[in-house]
Amino acid sequence: MKKRKMFLRMITASLMRRRSRMLVALLSIAIGATVLSGLVTIYYDVPRQMGAQFRNYGANMIFTAADEDFTYDDVEKGISQIDSGDIVGVAPYRYETVRIRETPVVAAGTNMEGAKATSPFWSVDGQWCSAPEEMLIGASIAEKYRLSVGDTVEVTYTPEEEAEDGEVTVDNFILFTVTGILDTGGSEEDYIYMSLDDLETLTGTGGNIDVAELSISASADALTSYMNKINQNVGAVNARLVKRVTASETTVLSKLQALVLLVTVVVLALTMICVATTMTAVVAERRKEIGLRKAIGASDKSIITEFMGESMLLGLLGGIIGSVLGFIFAQQVSINVFSSSISFRPLLVPVTILVSIAVTGLSSLMPVRSATDVDPALVLKGE
Amino acid sequence: MFLRMIKGTLFRQWKKMIMIAFTIALGASLATAMLSVMLDVEDKVNQELKTYGANITVVPKESSVLNNLYEIEDGGSGGAYLREDELGKIKTIFWAFNIVDYAPFLNAKATLDDGSEITVVGTWFNHHIELPTGEQLDAGVVSMRSWWETESGEWLDEQGNADENSAMIGTALAYKLNLSAGDTLHVKGTKSDVTLKITGVYDAGGDEDDEIYVQLATAQKLDGLEGCIDSIEVSALTTPDNELAERAAKDPSSLTVSQYETWYCTAYVSSICYQIQEVITDSVASPVRQVADSEGAILEKTKLLMVLITILSLIGASLGICNLVTASVMERSGEIGLMKAIGAQNGAVSGLVLTEIFITAIVGGILGFFAGWGFAQIIGHSVFNSSINISPIVIPMVSVLVVIVTLIGSIPAIRMLLRLSPAEVLHGGR
Amino acid sequence: MSLLELRNIYKIYGELHALDNVSLKVEKGEWVSIMGPSGSGKSTMMNIIGCMDKPTKGEVLLDGVDISKESAKNLTNVRRDKIGLIFQQFHLVNYLTALENVMLAQYYHSMPDEKEALEALDRVGLADRAKHLPSQLSGGEQQRVCVARALINYPEIILADEPTGNLDEANEAIVVDLFHKLHNEGTTLIVVTHDPEVAEVAQRTLVLRSGKLAKEVINENFTGQIKFDHE
Repeated sequence: MKKRKMFLRMITASLMRRRSRMLVALLSIAIGATVLSGLVTIYYDVPRQMGAQFRNYGANMIFTAADEDFTYDDVEKGISQIDSGDIVGVAPYRYETVRIRETPVVAAGTNMEGAKATSPFWSVDGQWCSAPEEMLIGASIAEKYRLSVGDTVEVTYTPEEEAEDGEVTVDNFILFTVTGILDTGGSEEDYIYMSLDDLETLTGTGGNIDVAELSISASADALTSYMNKINQNVGAVNARLVKRVTASETTVLSKLQALVLLVTVVVLALTMICVATTMTAVVAERRKEIGLRKAIGASDKSIITEFMGESMLLGLLGGIIGSVLGFIFAQQVSINVFSSSISFRPLLVPVTILVSIAVTGLSSLMPVRSATDVDPALVLKGE
Repeated sequence: MFLRMIKGTLFRQWKKMIMIAFTIALGASLATAMLSVMLDVEDKVNQELKTYGANITVVPKESSVLNNLYEIEDGGSGGAYLREDELGKIKTIFWAFNIVDYAPFLNAKATLDDGSEITVVGTWFNHHIELPTGEQLDAGVVSMRSWWETESGEWLDEQGNADENSAMIGTALAYKLNLSAGDTLHVKGTKSDVTLKITGVYDAGGDEDDEIYVQLATAQKLDGLEGCIDSIEVSALTTPDNELAERAAKDPSSLTVSQYETWYCTAYVSSICYQIQEVITDSVASPVRQVADSEGAILEKTKLLMVLITILSLIGASLGICNLVTASVMERSGEIGLMKAIGAQNGAVSGLVLTEIFITAIVGGILGFFAGWGFAQIIGHSVFNSSINISPIVIPMVSVLVVIVTLIGSIPAIRMLLRLSPAEVLHGGR
Repeated sequence: MSLLELRNIYKIYGELHALDNVSLKVEKGEWVSIMGPSGSGKSTMMNIIGCMDKPTKGEVLLDGVDISKESAKNLTNVRRDKIGLIFQQFHLVNYLTALENVMLAQYYHSMPDEKEALEALDRVGLADRAKHLPSQLSGGEQQRVCVARALINYPEIILADEPTGNLDEANEAIVVDLFHKLHNEGTTLIVVTHDPEVAEVAQRTLVLRSGKLAKEVINENFTGQIKFDHE
């Protein structure tokens, strides 16, 4: 019992009274531990954070009608099968052929907020429409009809089923204000976009939609399982993955993760060697002291125990400091790069501490062992 | 004498010096590897992002593409076509080197024997192009539709055994018609008809699943549109847009001459579009925002991420080197006390210590540079299957870093050595 | 039986005969000085007696047991149990206090006992400086801590290598007085020195020259009394 007390007393004395040297060692261990915990946190967070960036590519799942009818309620049922944290955006679309200046145009009714979330790449010249009787028009439409932002235009719709008694069918029309012109480089430029409510008013029929686009932040496997779950549990909905987006995302994301992993491994290996050389230098400096301890009767084992105890304590301290700094670093990276905060990984703290204890312990073991091999007489005489 | 003393330390204290050199080499290799990867990561990820397909589409000026997203209706191409014989010119623009892939498309309306209408798309699969410049290129949908999976059969191989009747069919259509690889299908175009031999069934996960893909010439013959194409999809390596690029995209004539030159000579998606329009008669090239914008965002994030990781590892490496230099210089207090006792001036002592450390640092730095180059290649080959280009700027950056770090590492040690009083050291105070 | 007996010891480094057929007996309670110029083999002899080195040839009997063929590990144990070492350079652990340095020897020997260690410091007159670090002590004080450390485990022999080599006269006197005190308490002392003043206070002085025992002087005036006058 008392022996242990003396042991602790010696170690703390060595750490406290040789402060500058120990700070040097501690600093290097803490750096190593910071790199370890910081990079590993980033490594684990990259798929999630990068995945969010990949949502720029737009929807990766599409709902269509399994049979004839398909309403927004069915979409919501489908959505309820998905973990709400994973959903980036949902946009329902209903397409109708309407007329502008007596020529047919495809009108899409949607929820603008949802469209903004599922298609972040839409570039709108002007404003997104927010009030009723406002619309977005595709760039080709704008050119064709010579429309620009702020113009008003009458959109007409001819109801189909009214013609039975030979009565003249009355066209529905609404005067829309163009709030923005849509530029996507794709076929969206040939459509006009308005709110679902406006399209329902215009056509006089409501409820049904043609398709819903979903943008979900999840891995390819998770997406497939969501898809299967929805197809099984929600009868009215046929869920499909947009392969172009999901397949490519998997390819690129796995490369990126491999990149971060490899970089982490290289940086870690080099940092650990750095810690090891520093520890070697710190211990080598104390050969004389080891010689003295041997001269006054210390066995090799007890010297090794003391030095190991000391370096493990250093490793522990360095590991704790490193865990904190590493998390702060990862957090900074996440905020700067992805503007979102990182999730704390409790498991990483003991792992970091254990690794830094192991590395410092092992790296001081070798020089201590070689120092104990030395003849104490030579060490004490020398210099 | 000075040289002799330095030689003495380097050779007699070689163990210690090797350790310093080793640490510096480690730090330098880390710096080299990280800087190289960081500087090259944009290009590499850009290549990877090509799996998302084309980021530029080219259509005739008269009418933009009227293909609908969800098969609502087809307005037709309005009679305007691009010219097939101009396709090669895309690889002659200023940024030709950045054009990784492209493919022409021609949609032909055809009817089946049962009278139902289908779309037959003529395109390149793995078309071999020999450019006037002597360059050779395999371009087409095999690489531009990398997400397609062949459900049965194989990709149509233009350079292999495919003839002009070969075709690939979408999985939805194949299911509807109960066809699989090896079967034949008779289709009738507006001008001629042909019996297609199906080489493979693909699953595209989109509306292409209801279409038939054939070689360009086959589709042209069906509708009698020899030499005509509807659109071209181009996959190009681009630089993320900035404010200048956005302004230029709206109206290139609004730029000043020097701004115009900067823009024209930078691989912005808008300048590549502009250059394509210059070589393809009566065409409109526009960025596919879905791909182009996302690429920009992802590239930027990846680069920033790598920059921060690089900074962390550089700080780590620097502190590691500083530490070791400090520790090893302090170790020599006895020797230096002696030198001071026999009359060495502070300047002479510092000069000696610094020279020794710098010789060691140079050796370590050079070794580290090559080791780091190796690490970068390992990363490049295992992640991207291609080597990382070491840009020349890495060399001065690493050298400056090593010098500064070594210097900083020596300062506390040298300060300590200068404070030493010789008597204290020689009397064995410690 | 003598406490320590060297029988025909040789220590040969290549061509150099550091010790050349040296024989020596030290009785329990004796105070012996070993003198000689640099290179005479003093240090080699001290290392062999101190169990830090082994002779090339010959026997070393400590308490009648031949230790010349023992392994390094067993020599460490012998050194720990039977010998207290005092060095010219003091060799204190610089981050441990005076008290802790003394306790260090206890720690390796058996159990650290703070009270006993304090008593040992008291015996060398340093009870009030127990909490000081070596750097805060004068050379003489450091050497006294060294003495306290050497005697804490009641060794059979205290072996001092140039104990006064780094001390001024006043401190030298204090240390020599301590040796007197230890001698009076019955401790066996072997002091290696080239300072005749320190050597001649012993009962017997052996002079080494070129690895051979050249001369043995018996101090007829030895009284065991404190000779120096201080404080």
